[in-house]
Amino acid sequence: MRMRSRPAIRLGLSLVLVLTAAAWLPAQNFDALKGKVRTHVLPNGMKWIVLERHEAPVASFHVYADVGSANESYGITGISHILEHMAFKGTKTVGTTDYARESKVLAELDSAYAALKAEQAKPKPDPERVQVLQKTFDDLEARAKSFVVNNECVDLLLQQGDTGLNAYTNFDATQYISSLPSNRLEFWMSLTSDRFFHPVFREFYKERSVIQEERRLGIETQPVGRLVEDFLAAAFKASPYHHHVIGHMADLQSITRRDVEAYFQKFYSPSNLTVAVVGDVRPEEVFRLADLYFGRIPSGPRPEPIRTVEPEQWGERRVTVVAMSMPVLLIGYHRPPAAHADNEALNALANILGQGRSSRLHVSLVKDKKAAVVVQGLNGFPGQKQASLIAFLAASTPGRTSEECLKLIDEEIALVKKDSVTADELTKYKRTAIKGILDQMQGNAGLAALLTDADAVFGDWRYAFDRIAAINAVTADDVKRAAETYLVRTHRVIGEIVMSQ
Amino acid sequence: MNTPKAILKTLAGLAVLVGLLAAPLPAQKKPKDSFTFPPLNAIHMPQVEQLKLPNGLVVFLVEDHEFPTVDLRAIVRTGSVFEPAGQAGLAGLMATTLRTGGTEARTGDEIDKELETLAASIETSMDATAGTIWASALKEDFPRVLEILADILIRPAFRQDKIDLALLEVESAIQRRNDNVAQITSREFNRLIYGPASPYALQPEYATVEAVTREDLVKFYKTYFHPNNTLLAVWGDFDSSALKAVLGKTLGAWPSGTAAVPAWPAVNYEGKFTVNFIDKPDVNQSNIMLGHIGGLMNDPDFPALTVMNAILSFDRMFKKVRTDEGLAYTVWGEYDSRLDYPGTFSCGAQTKSQSTVHAIQLMIQEMRRMASEEVTDRELAKAKDQYLNSFVFRFDSKAKIINRMLTYVYHGYPLNFSEGVKSAVEKVAKADVLRVARKYLKPDQVQILVVGKASDFDKPLSALGEVRTIDITIPPPPPAKTK
Repeated sequence: MRMRSRPAIRLGLSLVLVLTAAAWLPAQNFDALKGKVRTHVLPNGMKWIVLERHEAPVASFHVYADVGSANESYGITGISHILEHMAFKGTKTVGTTDYARESKVLAELDSAYAALKAEQAKPKPDPERVQVLQKTFDDLEARAKSFVVNNECVDLLLQQGDTGLNAYTNFDATQYISSLPSNRLEFWMSLTSDRFFHPVFREFYKERSVIQEERRLGIETQPVGRLVEDFLAAAFKASPYHHHVIGHMADLQSITRRDVEAYFQKFYSPSNLTVAVVGDVRPEEVFRLADLYFGRIPSGPRPEPIRTVEPEQWGERRVTVVAMSMPVLLIGYHRPPAAHADNEALNALANILGQGRSSRLHVSLVKDKKAAVVVQGLNGFPGQKQASLIAFLAASTPGRTSEECLKLIDEEIALVKKDSVTADELTKYKRTAIKGILDQMQGNAGLAALLTDADAVFGDWRYAFDRIAAINAVTADDVKRAAETYLVRTHRVIGEIVMSQ
Repeated sequence: MNTPKAILKTLAGLAVLVGLLAAPLPAQKKPKDSFTFPPLNAIHMPQVEQLKLPNGLVVFLVEDHEFPTVDLRAIVRTGSVFEPAGQAGLAGLMATTLRTGGTEARTGDEIDKELETLAASIETSMDATAGTIWASALKEDFPRVLEILADILIRPAFRQDKIDLALLEVESAIQRRNDNVAQITSREFNRLIYGPASPYALQPEYATVEAVTREDLVKFYKTYFHPNNTLLAVWGDFDSSALKAVLGKTLGAWPSGTAAVPAWPAVNYEGKFTVNFIDKPDVNQSNIMLGHIGGLMNDPDFPALTVMNAILSFDRMFKKVRTDEGLAYTVWGEYDSRLDYPGTFSCGAQTKSQSTVHAIQLMIQEMRRMASEEVTDRELAKAKDQYLNSFVFRFDSKAKIINRMLTYVYHGYPLNFSEGVKSAVEKVAKADVLRVARKYLKPDQVQILVVGKASDFDKPLSALGEVRTIDITIPPPPPAKTK
């Protein structure tokens, strides 16, 4: 239990732990790593972060494009993620047998698509004309396909031993990840610069269908996916976190290749890209090759920041998803972007309330009251850069309800607002958070992700290391104040899955 | 005066200088140019120390001082395949309550609190053919974590309140098991291949978990959880001699036992063609799996099958079903070989209801093509290069190296098994790929499973063969316990 009845013992124990923590806090480990980081900015504005690590003859490459679904507007929702898929379709020399001829067909294909869509958009489309235009489109698509070397870009990377080849798009960013034997450095530079310098968005319309399947897979056939989509739409009426990364189906059926090219021009200028390379490499060699290969890319303007900020919420909002599923409860409270000074206090609050077997919500809802089988707190949902939410998820046990879970969660929140958290709990949180960072730093790919993320979200790669000090600085008063400031009923959104029938 | 020779020399020198100045910038290579890769730096193979404590516990140790943490993984030779009849779920309940049920001296809640205060963890899990324990801590706390772990392993209390809680969790999982289409598909495919009564596909039901008593859990623990039936690996920031002393004092006190663990149950698979359907009227996408039994990693054909899998899954299924046809986000075709019992061969995809039968036919067609014609030189070279060039990633952390070692010893494979596969992959030829595809892929004897909304399919599933509808209604709790 929480040991509220034994303050003296608690104080003694926590002092010991604070001392241990202070003696342990691996300042030297973090400082040693931090001291090895080298950075370089190309004249075109592209930023490079390199960390030498000679554990094994391998290296991880992390390309961070500062564009996510929050940069999208009506009509093109999902386009950041579509672009991520298209970035694997090759270049003027990779993925084609004859780019000169292929490019002409691709241009004709775009026009044919526009003509088809224009006819279909008429109040009364002419069915015969639609049929003719569809046939023209299909024929051109087949002709364009005849120049394609299927997945050559991916093949080249895999053949060189790429492990963990992948890409991710989220609300804030698009990230491309590779890990290769470290002697493939120049090959990676050559291919990747070509991909971001001369990309060709071929096989676009087929790939758009793949992404529609991805939407069905992740959202439409999954009750929890449906809940998250509707929950975000309710939580954010103005902020672009309103729509899910995957985008609306109607947009996924309408976005054109030209839309993607324009989006690429706007958001993939070198000044909007950051690369981290971690592993068995020498920084000066990475920078020399970066200059040679990525220096070719002309500079472009940095996109302007997102304008729309979520206004204050006027009262509790509720959203219900009816599905063939047992109940799930999701509660979110508005909070500012991650760069805000309260971020670490909110992280502590989410952890002490809802992460781990001895967290307050787990002890109350799962162990003691047996109302929930799972309860979890998460901070910074769905993103980091814009104002987002601190959220709590619960799944009730058989015979119990989401309403009961909500009531119990509210009780625990009220206790934090009244008495704050204990010194023990705070120490536990700090050590757990720092251990989590240490665990993530143990692999090249994890380190590369931490560095680019710190640079993009907090404005400086050093925050990957300096965050330790910020975590250690959180006080019980900070947590109490964060609870009082943000865990406010009028500023919350409640989402539920309710069984159909 | 300069002699003509000197002038020539100067001129030559100038020429060199001019040449240097005028040299074009170092050329950028195109992605498909040939690259000369500098030799790869050597892999540092760590010294893994192996020892056996007097009680029979086999220990592997490797020091890694980069970060101030220590991790542990132990494997107990047991598994849910050894659950008594009618008690499916027992082994998992035992693994959960071993951790949560506390020890003779302390409750599980007290242990939770201490571990989390240390930012440490001890977790247990149960698979069909292994019981696993993980622990992780900051280095200065690891001796304390070993004390707690030893207390759990030697003197577990299996308190009734935590058994009740674990039972509630399992019953919630039973109640929720049909909420997710992907979960339904993989579970029911497994049941199709191994048979619903097979120990490799048994699932907990209300009746089987409610039949489990505390005595059953204690008995299962006592049968299998002995040091001489356990392998342990520890890696991280420690001094080996100091750690050995701590291990001796903690896990060294674990009394040995007599564990006569039988061999893993046999899999008796009979090839047949079946079409199976599960009705899910609230979805617009079909979740499809089709296949048959797979193999074992110690099969001499495993290296050729590894090459075949890379080609079948990416060059055939992915390129055809996803890239060319745009029918699915995830698609694969893989002959899975396991260390312990035969895996499954499966192809899978999720596609909109309206392309269900078409996608199934495409996957079977690609399987058939794999088993009827040789792969191309390019496909073979690519698949082998991919395997061989990524081989170094098996050695990129001490954690990976020691864990692979533990796994091989547990399943009785030679420690250099990976290296053996690697040299065999180097020799695989197109004819080998065709030979194993013919031998192991049975396109006429696949079992097809579709979870989806039949009324929206492009064609009725009966176009493929006689359809059997699988009822996934969850059997209700036995009457005595109905709440």
